[in-house]
Order: sequence, then C-alpha cells, then structure tokens
Amino acid sequence: MSGRRSRSRQVSGTSRISEEQINDLIIKLQQLLPELRDSRRSDKVSAARVLQETCNYIRNLHREVDDLSERLSELLANTDTAQAALIRSLLTL
Amino acid sequence: MDSISPLSNQTTTTTSSSSDLSRRKRRKKSPPSPPPSLEKWRSEKQQQIYSTKLVHALRELRISQPSPNPNGRAVREVADRALAVAARGRTLWSRAILSKAVKLKFRKHKRQRIANPALTQPVIATGSLRSKKQTVMRIKAKGLPAVQRKVKVLSRLVPGCRKQTLPVVLEETTDYIAAMEMQIRAMTALLSAVSSPTEHEEEGQTHVLG
Repeated sequence: MSGRRSRSRQVSGTSRISEEQINDLIIKLQQLLPELRDSRRSDKVSAARVLQETCNYIRNLHREVDDLSERLSELLANTDTAQAALIRSLLTL
Repeated sequence: MDSISPLSNQTTTTTSSSSDLSRRKRRKKSPPSPPPSLEKWRSEKQQQIYSTKLVHALRELRISQPSPNPNGRAVREVADRALAVAARGRTLWSRAILSKAVKLKFRKHKRQRIANPALTQPVIATGSLRSKKQTVMRIKAKGLPAVQRKVKVLSRLVPGCRKQTLPVVLEETTDYIAAMEMQIRAMTALLSAVSSPTEHEEEGQTHVLG
C-alpha cells in the first residue's frame, strides 16, 4: 500500500463514501437511540446531535454493564446459594 | 383480468386498481424494519444463547479465582468476552474484544506481539508509528469539524474502531449498541433469576431500556 494518495485515485465506488450512505447510517443510528426515536423530527435532528446522543448512550450502557457486573460479582461471592441458584436459573431459562 | 386496462372500465376496475395502488402504497409507507443483524440481538434465542454462555463463563471464573473473590472488573470482562463470542466474529468490536483478551495472556509471558494485519488494527500496546499515520478520518462528505470530533470520540468508545472510517464506525456502533442492550437484558434477567429464584419467567423489564 503506497499510501492514501493512490487509493483516492481508485474507482470511486470503493474509496468515496456517498453522503446518502452516511445519512442512512446516521438515521439508522438515530432509530436506536431511545431519546431521539420517539420524537423523530428527522429534519431537525442534526448529525452532530445524533452522534452526541450516541456517545452519551454508549457511556450509559457501559455504566449499566459495570453496575450489573458489580452486582453479579457480589453474588458470586456467596458460594453455595449462588451455585444452586445459578444452576436453577440455567434450567429455567 | 379486470385490472389490465383501468382506463376502459372506470366503474369497477378503478376500485380494484386503486385498492391495488393503495395496497402498494401502504406497503411502501410502512417503516423500514431493522436489518437482520440488529434483529438478531433482539431475539429471545440469542439472549438465551448468551445467558447460557455467560453462566458457564461465570462459573469458570469462580473456579479459576477462588480466593480473591472476582471483582466487578473481572465479571465485566467475562461478560464482554461472552458477548464478543456471541457475535461470531463478524464485527470489528467483537474481534477487538477477543484480541484484547488474548493479548493480555501473551503479555504475561512477555512476548512481543507483532501486528497481525488479519485482525483489523486493534490498539497495539507497542504503539507502532506506522498506524498513527492513518489516524486521519477519511471523511469525504460531512467535513464539519464538530461531526468529525464527535465521530472520533465515538470511535474511542466502541472497541476496535479507533482508526476506522466514518461509515465503518457508524456501522459498528449500531451493532455494538444492539449487542450491549441484549447484554444488559440478559444480565438483568440473570440477576433477578438468581436473587429471587422462586419467580422464574421474570424478564428484566424493570429496566431503563424498555
């Protein structure tokens, strides 16, 4: 790979990403966000806003997973009851 | 047979053709369903597969770390690794999570890790300068600095996307968010099943994500 210069001269289909494609991806992302999904004024929500909300949402999700992990680890600390309960939950899932 | 020439019989055929058109129009107006990859993360089956993997992995964790009780960090890593396995290696973030776990094992043996081009550029501890040249986001459209900054922040949040182009980052983000939502649902369900085992069939619905 001789660098980006040669790549940009290639066929436009591979290196140039269309604006529409990016917009589609951002719309798809917007529909995943609980905040922006319900009040979908598609024209007024800018790409920057969608990205900002996405960052916040991912940070929230990380925090929730960390919190759940903490609780699970506390649960694992109690040996016998946790083992039996885990096995039971595995059977009922 | 009647709907072929709508111009001739305007009494009966127009109704059928208009209903055809309206049916067609209605189909087009229906909101686009989420792509199959995102649907996968919402299915019950996927959640059950993940929960099973998670339970097995947690049990192994307890066996491997008996005396220091596993802390939240270890559980988080186990959960993330199980999630990455559930993704079946089709996404960047899952491969990045798995390669991170493998790298920690090698670091213990103090082996110098050579950048493997097959694993698409995970963050390498040796800090090779060659990959730093490609840090510039190749955004042809949307050259706004605000958007670029946010995409860069976003790419740091999603594992394995630090040096990726804009559409790749967006694509990975959608899958990552759907996967994390499933992870949270599964862990919540597991917690509630374990802490109150008498009520089985309890889905983790007390949850923000809803």
